[in-house]
Amino acid sequence: MALKSSVFIRRADRDDLDTVVAWMEDPAFQRFLYGDPTRSPKQIREQIVGMLGRSANHSMPGGIYFMADSAKLGPVGLFSVVNISWRNRSCNIDSYVSEKRRTGFFATIAFYRVLEYCFHELNMHRINIYIYGFNTRSWRNFELSGGKREIVLHEHVARDGKLYDMYGYGLLRSEFEELREFFKKKFKGIDLAHMIEDMKTTQQTEAAP
Amino acid sequence: MITGEYAVIRSAEPDDAPALWQLYDPSRPRSFLLGPQREIMIPTADELREMLGRRDLVQGTFFAVENKQGLVCGCCVLRGAKFESEYAEMVVAFGEDSEYVTPLAEEVFQFLLHMAFIEKKLNKLQAHCLCTEIAYREFLVARGFESDGVQRDMVYTRGRYFDLESFTLFHAAGLTRLRNREVEDAAAPA
Repeated sequence: MALKSSVFIRRADRDDLDTVVAWMEDPAFQRFLYGDPTRSPKQIREQIVGMLGRSANHSMPGGIYFMADSAKLGPVGLFSVVNISWRNRSCNIDSYVSEKRRTGFFATIAFYRVLEYCFHELNMHRINIYIYGFNTRSWRNFELSGGKREIVLHEHVARDGKLYDMYGYGLLRSEFEELREFFKKKFKGIDLAHMIEDMKTTQQTEAAP
Repeated sequence: MITGEYAVIRSAEPDDAPALWQLYDPSRPRSFLLGPQREIMIPTADELREMLGRRDLVQGTFFAVENKQGLVCGCCVLRGAKFESEYAEMVVAFGEDSEYVTPLAEEVFQFLLHMAFIEKKLNKLQAHCLCTEIAYREFLVARGFESDGVQRDMVYTRGRYFDLESFTLFHAAGLTRLRNREVEDAAAPA
């Protein structure tokens, strides 16, 4: 099956601040990502400004932030590649998908492309994802992407006065390569190379008189 | 300072740096050496001295363990105690693996249990060990810790990857162990 999607990933920048701040109003954003009850909205906002405002320099970054975007649909979600360990060749991924785009393939395609970026551009060996037990949609999505649930931390996260489980997932490069072979056959067009080609074609079409 | 039958447990201080630095042995990868990003971190003796001088970091969390001969033979740590999550990570590290099966190790464990579950009223204690830390794993399992699972290829050092296993001991199980110990101590001949 050839997969055509208008969703592409790009580095997040300062122009995305208003979009991300608007997403902060979504209760899911705080519940699933920034749920520390002791942090004020101002502190969360400052953290996001710090993430998006980081200027490029010659040192290897400790975190990389991607917007999943679409010329047709507008911004779809935010993917944070954080806790990068260049020694262990591992990183963590946090993700947020806007409320309107949680159904359909948008998130899955963007997520697959972020995984491919981590393994094939950053040369990672392992990707960690920590997901709260009540965030069923996210952990199912990561399992579909080949992630293995390796640890279950019982009563680990406090939300609304209750303690919930947290799942620790891991995806090794060898597992991603297997998945990639499968996806290449099944969903031609999902990979980064096709994404770049599609973006070029769209730009040329738009520029044509 | 806690003076037990087998050990003296006290807040670590800068003068302990030379003795504690022996635990930071790069030829012997241990979970104790992992930093926040799960990378093996080996400070210099000077860096360790500086760290032990920071009272905000050390006070109430990092303890030196002396044996009855007055030698620092290890350390124990209770780190990251978070009020809202009600858990902390426990570390018990000795220079020699054989120390884990001694009464001194049990005394250190009882001290940490008391601090975690009676003083700080935590819900659970967490611990980690690399796949090569057989003695430490046995120490944890023998004291009621249950495995949460194994994270594969989590740590890279000395030319290979190591798996990292996580363990948990909940409040109720920890208190039971403390009470059982008190009963045993009371029953022991004076």
